[in-house]
Amino acid sequence: MPNVTFDQAAVTVPVDHLPEPKVLLDGVNLQLTERRVGVIGANGSGKSTFLRLVNGLVQPSSGRVLVDGADTVRSVRAVRRTVGFVFTDPLSQLVMPTGREDVELSLRRSVKNGAERRRQAEDALDRLGLLHLADQSIYELSGGERQLVALAAVLAVEPAVLVLDEPSTLLDLRNRELLRRTLAGLDQQIIMSTHDLDMALDMDRVLVIDQGKVVFDGAAAPAVAAYRALCLASLDAQEAQP
Amino acid sequence: MRGHGFLLANYVAGDSLVHRAPLALKFLLVFACGLASFVTVDWRMSLGMLGALCGLFLLSGAGPKRLWGAVRPLAAVLLVIGLFQWWQLGAPTAGRIVLNILVCVVAASLLTATTPVHKLLDGVVRAAGPFKRFGADPERFALTIGIMLRSIPYIAGTFADVRDSARARGLERNPRALVLPVFITSVAFARQTGEALAARGLGEADDEAED
Repeated sequence: MPNVTFDQAAVTVPVDHLPEPKVLLDGVNLQLTERRVGVIGANGSGKSTFLRLVNGLVQPSSGRVLVDGADTVRSVRAVRRTVGFVFTDPLSQLVMPTGREDVELSLRRSVKNGAERRRQAEDALDRLGLLHLADQSIYELSGGERQLVALAAVLAVEPAVLVLDEPSTLLDLRNRELLRRTLAGLDQQIIMSTHDLDMALDMDRVLVIDQGKVVFDGAAAPAVAAYRALCLASLDAQEAQP
Repeated sequence: MRGHGFLLANYVAGDSLVHRAPLALKFLLVFACGLASFVTVDWRMSLGMLGALCGLFLLSGAGPKRLWGAVRPLAAVLLVIGLFQWWQLGAPTAGRIVLNILVCVVAASLLTATTPVHKLLDGVVRAAGPFKRFGADPERFALTIGIMLRSIPYIAGTFADVRDSARARGLERNPRALVLPVFITSVAFARQTGEALAARGLGEADDEAED
């Protein structure tokens, strides 16, 4: 499995009316070598920032993030060849009018021959059982199908690490299950944030992030329990306020 | 999000003469129509061109429904332009201007309805090839065209959604309630698209040096 290393990685952003910059992620120090890594936490806790660091979409304000030794700032192109990223909303990710064209777009850099590119795009769609949707407009697909097409477009270039930012948030129960089964069959290392605790329980290791800090790091079941306890404590504290 | 308000027709598979025509010829046709809209002085000539293009469109087998679908989103704008020009410059000029816009839209739709996007992009890459010696990246040209084709239906769909929201709140006559959300959503879409492209490593130079 690839090795994703967070070496005291912190992300801060300046805020106009505050004297100190706001901390989005506070000095994370860990190594991810497991096949399935889950990231859970409340909205705004820092999950997306954490994931974006892995692909170089966000640069650490201090510290560094390495993917198999490649620095996400200094070697961002190499990192992006290794790390595929799936967004919450596939509509913002799919650039071309149809699934086939979008997967072909992913392959344009690496496969110059048009016929070969087309064949590889079909293979990528077929692997996820999407070939019959290849020529449909992305607007005609269901949310789950769209998310899987976005996934196929990312997987077409065979990244070693797949980062998914709340991929099931916009999906109904059936599509969520479809996505869950598809992810379970992939060989890639998966690092995924989710609000779906069933999906989190499928992971080998789960991080709980709260207010920019990793407050729990361990096996899935205790991590989910810790997250539930954190949420309940936060609600209780809010209700206790006069 | 609705995304079907597409200004240009989607590709329709077929084996018509227009489908088989070389891409360069179709590009030339679109270019010539754009150029003609500047030099045509008689509305009857514009009408003739529009008729010929509509004939070609129907000959391609893309169908009248798609042709209407490509023109319909413009109807309200063309009506406003036509009325204004009629008031300002008279009926013949107003007719010519409206017809010339339609000529350009139908010509572009003819291209997109009879050419798969990947062939269109390959064509753009070939056409932009000579600029490589000046440091330009032909793949970026193609990517730009691809994003443009993708963005038109998104923004049209956003406009339809925003219009419905404004109606639901009784604000359909308030231009700010229509324009501002579309503008903000479009900017957000551009930002998300940029981020998604960066995440996929698209649009980056091939030979960019790294440490």
